[in-house]
Amino acid sequence: MLTEREIISTLEMLRNENLDVRTVTLGISLFDCASHDIERFISNVRAKITRLAGTLVDICNEVGLKYGIPVVNKRISISPIAVVACGFAAEEMYKIAIALDDMAHSLRIDFIGGFSALVEKGFTKGDYALIEAIPEALAKTDRVCSSINVASTHAGINMDAVALMGRTIRRTAEITADRDGIGCAKLVVFANIPQDVPFMAGAYLGVGEPDAVINVGVSGPGVVKRAIDRARAADPSLDLGKLSETIKRTAFKVTRVGELIGRQVAVKLDVPFGVVDLSLAPTPNVGDSVGEIFQSLGLKSIGNPGSTAILAMLNDAVKKGGIFASSYVGGLSGAFIPVSEDLNIAEAARNGKLTIEKLEAMTSVCSVGLDMVAIPGDTSAETISGIIADEMAIGVINSKATAARLIPVPGKKAGERASFGGLLGEATIIDIHDDGGSAGFIKLGGRIPAPVQSFKN
Amino acid sequence: MKKVVVFVLGPDRPGIIATISRILFEQGCNLEDVSQTILQREFMGIFIVSMKIEGNEDEVLSAIQAELEPSGLFVHLKPMEGSAIGEQTISESFIITTVGPDRLGLVAGITDVLAHYEVNITNLKAVARGNRDGQNYVMIYEIDIQPATDYHAFRTALLGRAQELGLDINLQHREIFEQIHRV
Repeated sequence: MLTEREIISTLEMLRNENLDVRTVTLGISLFDCASHDIERFISNVRAKITRLAGTLVDICNEVGLKYGIPVVNKRISISPIAVVACGFAAEEMYKIAIALDDMAHSLRIDFIGGFSALVEKGFTKGDYALIEAIPEALAKTDRVCSSINVASTHAGINMDAVALMGRTIRRTAEITADRDGIGCAKLVVFANIPQDVPFMAGAYLGVGEPDAVINVGVSGPGVVKRAIDRARAADPSLDLGKLSETIKRTAFKVTRVGELIGRQVAVKLDVPFGVVDLSLAPTPNVGDSVGEIFQSLGLKSIGNPGSTAILAMLNDAVKKGGIFASSYVGGLSGAFIPVSEDLNIAEAARNGKLTIEKLEAMTSVCSVGLDMVAIPGDTSAETISGIIADEMAIGVINSKATAARLIPVPGKKAGERASFGGLLGEATIIDIHDDGGSAGFIKLGGRIPAPVQSFKN
Repeated sequence: MKKVVVFVLGPDRPGIIATISRILFEQGCNLEDVSQTILQREFMGIFIVSMKIEGNEDEVLSAIQAELEPSGLFVHLKPMEGSAIGEQTISESFIITTVGPDRLGLVAGITDVLAHYEVNITNLKAVARGNRDGQNYVMIYEIDIQPATDYHAFRTALLGRAQELGLDINLQHREIFEQIHRV
């Protein structure tokens, strides 16, 4: 028999604290679709994706109704296109992106990720072709996401790729200038990209993954914040040790929900269950913000000194609770601090409480990196590459995933607003110190060698 | 072996279960299953008992009545019907929760829909709770839905009824509560 308290507290989490499953992402391998003929390749991909994902949306909705937990996004991740379509030129890569977007629309999939390349150690012809196609592809599609892994702890940082991505981001922003450079919101540069991320824009299906697999991304910043608020209201003397325990317990509950829903969807689709990604993913809604957690823990605003310490504690407590709750944990698994997607973080950036430098420092202890950061449209490609290089270095040295999703907003300056709509939210453009001083370094090119893995200091 | 059901109902006080179990022991009866509940100050207990000595039901009943009736408790005993353990049916357990202003006919309104779809209630708790805006009536039903039941039609009917009654309602599979709260 369930207790009244168990039932009422579950309802509270659902109704007032925005508990949901942020994404159920179906990974689909496209290696068996390879062909030298572009039409044949696209038709193979369409047939496979339609066969495996045809019922994904309906099944997620049905499972959501049964358990009373909404599955907010239904997504697909695919094998990196630069690998499975390696023989094709940029023009054909563009055609593939258009076809993928069309499939996502007809299957009612929110996003399809995997217009991707892995170039941490160097480029293939396919990698060049895909990166060349990115600006046009992201301008003409709205559901295709692209990720490029330019660095890893084992390979170091491919600085030629970093330089190329700086230019690609500029170009992508320019050709989506009429929509505040939205193409860049679907493009992310990674170090140590995990093979099983369910979250966009970094989702792709790694080469070591099965033919099809369900990965789940949970949410829950609102639930964590309210749990902290309740605990502090009940006992104002709670210290950080006790509060991290509260976060841990809450992360356990949130993760169990993701695991249950993911497993049910996997059974109904008859594909294996992969991982739960334990990331606390915010939305631009009040009460669903990671930034608000910082205030619940005593800071006036995210960005104040103490922010990095709080993020480190939060990230660690979420992992501890989540790992116990789930049989398989993967993806990024940590707290996200996407500036435009989190109302409270966007507000801190607008007030000047949160600078790009502080954001960068915080990414050394959180899961993802400089995420959804709107920067002035006239920021040079070399400065963008410099920011990417710094972010990659944090990931490579710390053996963790880091990423940069930067949006140079064409024609706008620091302090102005950029709007991307929906889950992508809106943000005030953050000030970048751009005096062209990074150009000399970026022009050197080559690969920064892999770091030593002992003597950690 | 013959089985009987003993019901005890009345104002709660310490020692009710102790008295009944002592008498049953003295009469050579085996206590198989017991369930008790208290609503406000009213006690209700159900005891399933196997009788060692055939035909002494009256004696058992009188012994319990003699001790409990002076304190206002009502005691009843009847032979148990059907097989000892209910037939196991394959069904799925769901939880219905409703919250809304107290008014006449809330339980009747919801249970009418359940009965129509042959949904069995396995546990029900309904309590009036105070809040800032006055009294709220909270109902928690644990129910079993048979595989043959049209879940979507049932859900639609239930949600429609809740709207008529001015209730905020949730229907969720039981497993979600267990997963969240239990290790």
